[in-house]
Amino acid sequence: MAANWFSAPAPVIRRARAYFAPVNRVTQTPVLFDPSEQGRFGLDTPPSPWISLGWIQNLTRKSASKTSPLMTGIPSATLEQVRETLQAQISFQFLSWTKLTMALATGSQHMNLLAPASGAAPAADGAQASAAVIPQSGSTSSSIVLSSTDASKFIAGSIVAVDVDNTGQTGFVGSPVAGAYVRQALTDVDYIRRVTFNVALVSQVTSTGLTLAEPLPGGAPAAGAKLQAVTGFVDREGGSFYLEWSALFLLEGSQGERVFFHYPRLQSMSGAEEAVVPLDGKHQNGQSRVLLKGQFLALPVTDPLDGERVVCYRSFLPAANALV
Amino acid sequence: MRTRLTTINPGRTILLRGSVRPGILVQEAEAPFSQLPNDVFVLRWQGLAVDMDLCATMAAEQCDIIYQTCGTQSFGGLDRGRTLSEMDEELISMLSPFYTPKMNYAATPPAAMLTRVFWDEPVLGPILIQRDLLTRTASVLVYSYQEQGE
Repeated sequence: MAANWFSAPAPVIRRARAYFAPVNRVTQTPVLFDPSEQGRFGLDTPPSPWISLGWIQNLTRKSASKTSPLMTGIPSATLEQVRETLQAQISFQFLSWTKLTMALATGSQHMNLLAPASGAAPAADGAQASAAVIPQSGSTSSSIVLSSTDASKFIAGSIVAVDVDNTGQTGFVGSPVAGAYVRQALTDVDYIRRVTFNVALVSQVTSTGLTLAEPLPGGAPAAGAKLQAVTGFVDREGGSFYLEWSALFLLEGSQGERVFFHYPRLQSMSGAEEAVVPLDGKHQNGQSRVLLKGQFLALPVTDPLDGERVVCYRSFLPAANALV
Repeated sequence: MRTRLTTINPGRTILLRGSVRPGILVQEAEAPFSQLPNDVFVLRWQGLAVDMDLCATMAAEQCDIIYQTCGTQSFGGLDRGRTLSEMDEELISMLSPFYTPKMNYAATPPAAMLTRVFWDEPVLGPILIQRDLLTRTASVLVYSYQEQGE
């Protein structure tokens, strides 16, 4: 009789994939990943609302939880253990530079450099921006309807940010990801579009609007949202804001098995840092790749299953026919 | 690999033993030839290593993939660089994804086994120039697990 199982050794992987989902900072609600329902997704098509961050390397997980013994008797011996602190860290390097990866790897808030108004005075975070335009009804996450006058202000290949005006809001601002925490009302009307994650690349411009190369993370523009061109991104060493995100890391083994590390809440625990890696290991002074380094602290959630506080879930989906 | 090549470039074929096949062959599985055929991929199995400290023995075998071209007649061979680049691209496309189901070709018809064969990224060697003939060898480390009964 032909064998219908095999004994699977430890997973063999090439690289790890990372996925991002926003934490609702106002309600303190992370995005949860269910490996039993969602575990077999295509690497490039994660289930909503997860967004691929591409490949990562040098993924290192470290448990910083501390346990201590409860000692009894003479001479004392360990009766049982208790968990004194609950903490975990994770670090890795992103293999791409995007708005999201750059923002996650920095230890502070991350901003869009809005296209400046003509003759505006220079500023480190970007000068006063040119006036925002209003998307018209019928706009979707990947197509922005504009008047012909407004459409002519954009060109294919440019980046746009879509979010509401700053009218003196305080608290967490930006949609769908909280990009900053405003402690006191600010006067810059474009501030929320400076910190929003709702950005996309324009692939085509017509007299009726813009076609985006990929959908806006926040979906169709919300009521009151406006649109501005973005020339790049900027972040700062310092500040008091910590971006928080739900993270999912996937190691896919050579036999199709999958290992997931799901951190419902992660915050950066180091400032912006880069790793410079030569493209040719034998030619250290030649062309080098600059990678974004990220180091993160896992924050706890309460598991509704049994009320335990946890910081990470590790799940394993074995290969087909593998002994377990 | 053969199936993948058919999708990537159905026009790359070879007439072998009276039949037209996708332009990829394993040298040891054919009659010896005095010189390598042009414009096809020739696979040559080289070194072998095994790791027996696992619950299933893992074999790693080096596969050299050799391909050469003189370009096309219609361009008088002046396109041989481009033609070799096309073969480079086809090879890289063929190797992705970096795994395939393990098959038992000793059985008729070939039978799917339980595990996958998988491999590393290719190491592309330099172009070897002999008159108007451009040749490149790419090396790939191919891994597989030994299954019960093998």
